[in-house]
Amino acid sequence: MDRRNFLKQVAVWSSGILLAEPVFRITPDLLAAETGTPILSVGTGKNYTSLVSSVLQPLGGIAAFVKPGDHVVVKPNIGWDRRPEQAATTHPEIVRAVVELAIMAGAKTVQVFDRTCNEERRCYMNSGIKSALDGMGNSKVQCNYIDQRKFIPVTIEKGLSLSKWSFYKDALQADCYINIPVAKHHGLARLTLGLKNTMGVIGGNRGKIHGNMSQNLADLNTVIRADLTIIDATRILLRNGPQGGSLKDVKILDTVIASADPVAADAYATTLFGFKPEQIDSTRVAAKMGLGEMDLNKMDIRMV
Amino acid sequence: MATKVTLRTCRKLSQVLFFFLFLLFFRLTDYSGLDEIPYAVNIFFRWDPLVTATVVLATKTFVALLLPSLFIIALTIIFGRVFCGWLCPMGTLLDGVGKLIQTSPRQGRSLRSVKYILLAVILTSSLFGLQLVGFFDPFSLLVRGLTLGLDPLFNLLVSGFFDPIYRYAPQWLSNLSEPIYTVLQNSVLPHKQSFFLLSTLSTTILIAVVALEKLAKRFWCRNLCPLGALLAILSRFSLFRRFPGLSCKDCQHCAPSCRMDAFDPKSRQVRHEECNLCLDCVDNCVKQASRFHFALPDNRLQIDMSRRTFIGAGLAGITLPLLSQVNAGGRLPRPTLLRPPGAAPEAEFFSKCVRCGECMKVCIQNALQPCFLESGYEGMFTPRLIPRIGYCEFNCTLCGQVCPTGAIHKLSQPAKQTFVIGMAVFDKERCLPFAAHSPCIVCEEHCPTHDKAIKFKEVTVINHKGEAIDLRQPYLIPELCIGCGICENKCPLPGHSAIRVLSSRTTSEDDEYGYGAHTQTTIIQQRSIS
Repeated sequence: MDRRNFLKQVAVWSSGILLAEPVFRITPDLLAAETGTPILSVGTGKNYTSLVSSVLQPLGGIAAFVKPGDHVVVKPNIGWDRRPEQAATTHPEIVRAVVELAIMAGAKTVQVFDRTCNEERRCYMNSGIKSALDGMGNSKVQCNYIDQRKFIPVTIEKGLSLSKWSFYKDALQADCYINIPVAKHHGLARLTLGLKNTMGVIGGNRGKIHGNMSQNLADLNTVIRADLTIIDATRILLRNGPQGGSLKDVKILDTVIASADPVAADAYATTLFGFKPEQIDSTRVAAKMGLGEMDLNKMDIRMV
Repeated sequence: MATKVTLRTCRKLSQVLFFFLFLLFFRLTDYSGLDEIPYAVNIFFRWDPLVTATVVLATKTFVALLLPSLFIIALTIIFGRVFCGWLCPMGTLLDGVGKLIQTSPRQGRSLRSVKYILLAVILTSSLFGLQLVGFFDPFSLLVRGLTLGLDPLFNLLVSGFFDPIYRYAPQWLSNLSEPIYTVLQNSVLPHKQSFFLLSTLSTTILIAVVALEKLAKRFWCRNLCPLGALLAILSRFSLFRRFPGLSCKDCQHCAPSCRMDAFDPKSRQVRHEECNLCLDCVDNCVKQASRFHFALPDNRLQIDMSRRTFIGAGLAGITLPLLSQVNAGGRLPRPTLLRPPGAAPEAEFFSKCVRCGECMKVCIQNALQPCFLESGYEGMFTPRLIPRIGYCEFNCTLCGQVCPTGAIHKLSQPAKQTFVIGMAVFDKERCLPFAAHSPCIVCEEHCPTHDKAIKFKEVTVINHKGEAIDLRQPYLIPELCIGCGICENKCPLPGHSAIRVLSSRTTSEDDEYGYGAHTQTTIIQQRSIS
């Protein structure tokens, strides 16, 4: 390539940056809502690795969700620079157990990421999640930081409050998206559970979401709908959420909840805090939009 | 071609080694995955005798962090300015550039005395409490130029090359380019793109120092470097010297090509204090007569500075601090000037900070930025925290770890988490739950203290449509706020944040405005009224 040609290429590409704004259009086929009663599985146990696989049994095991050759995204909460026992982030053992199951089910790749609130390296490191996954030594498992280039503007066709927002490409393209939030207190939303955990895969000024949070969260979840939600309630944060910091705010429950219905999972997790599902606006609004079931009586709850 | 291993080869190897070490330490001045940085990444400042001299003079205290400078002092007393010739990364940079642009070693008029004048001014003024070393110390210039300008620029250029390929080139091409980019990201590139105030100024100063090389070899080291001047004075006592002590008559070899212009043109004597032991004259000597060995100090020539000049420089060194003392700027409150966590009280901070830029380099949120004239010219390039650019990460203690002089104290994590940088103040005219009756409390969500300094009350307000709505309105508990600025940083309003961190520091001990106390009482009063 000669100099002239090179300069021309550079000019063409850099003008491309200014002009092009690619828009991904995702048609959410899911809002047709699932027919039948959602299965919700709850288990307790001290060994979190075996707890995760036993909780998944009533749902048909991981194989019901992850097919051989799938590109899987596992989305924990790594939002804060906190240690696992402080209950602000998903427990690393839970994350690792889910990733291991996905690999065993034949996943081609398993990506684990979160757009953090505190500095990303500190969050990944001190949550224990990065070292737990790097320790697996499996090249199919990728625990990478968010790459800003991968946020793609998406038109939210079913959105009632949001019509457009940018989403993380890998989350949009996943064959199987597994949401593994930690259950904790939150000042504005009251609790942060599965639906709120979706905020970790969106771009832009996330503070703006807070203006009409419940509807906004429901709208976001019409684009990214988790195939499987596993709520980490091994320890829950009762106060000073979503960051906590003091062990006095933490209650140990050794519980894990799983469901293919994200609203059902959130609704059940709410009861662990002594609230009713309808007290959490985001659950109520999501159920109203047809994202899932919030009535505990209409769920097939299996205790394992 | 077989190259003979000469003394000069050893010198070059040493230069390359220390230059590489310098760059390596620069890159390692970052979060490593551990709370503590395991290497002495700031060693180039801590062994700098000029930094030590000015800090000790300005604070009149012993600073243990700076003990490594005794090593360079000892080295110089034994071997002369070997530091300038063999170790100094700035000298190596200049040698490299000089080679590239084919500089002449000759210089029209000798400006050698300028560096002694600078040294005298810097040392005297530091004794009287004004710290000027940061404007002239070679490592301060180098690290600042790299941190604030060249390193972010380097990352911008590299990502600017790979990003368009990733976004717009065909898939096969980005499949080739991305692995290369990843390798670069994991090795030579910084973790992420940073942005700095004074990026142009800092880089221009560094480039100007390098560009002086066009005038003559090692122009900076010969004429301007105050560290070089200090080492020159020390090396007058040194024991490792060139023999013969003068250049041979009629031989035009060593004296005209000396990179330090160390030979006196009239007497042909070597000015030993100007020699940086590059050993070119040994390796190039046609008669094989020139060599270095140990001998007792024997200085035939006086140092290149007259008594009159020395007294003049000393007077300037006294006048500058006095002028600063009568500057009214020093008596004004600076509410938006936040110092890093662990920063010493303002007067001590000014005495100790050598404007090295290490804290700004290491700050993982890009929050620490250089001052321009916000704290007077005296405070130019001192660090300040600008929350809207980046906030202070609650669990991070890195800036105190890399500060070479203790201007920012090294704090333990619990001490850092209670260190008060400033205090947040709400602007209720703009804050959404107050001004627009719209839910928000993003500040409360991010507030990191264990008992949150930002709390909210649940209120029912009548909005502009006349509807009663339930809302959570935030308020601050001053005793809990440490001023980390995450609230100001994350406030979703465009432009200025509706919550701002204000400094409660006083600019001097006899600050009559008592700014800090004033703000606190005002806020407490406001709260008890409302």
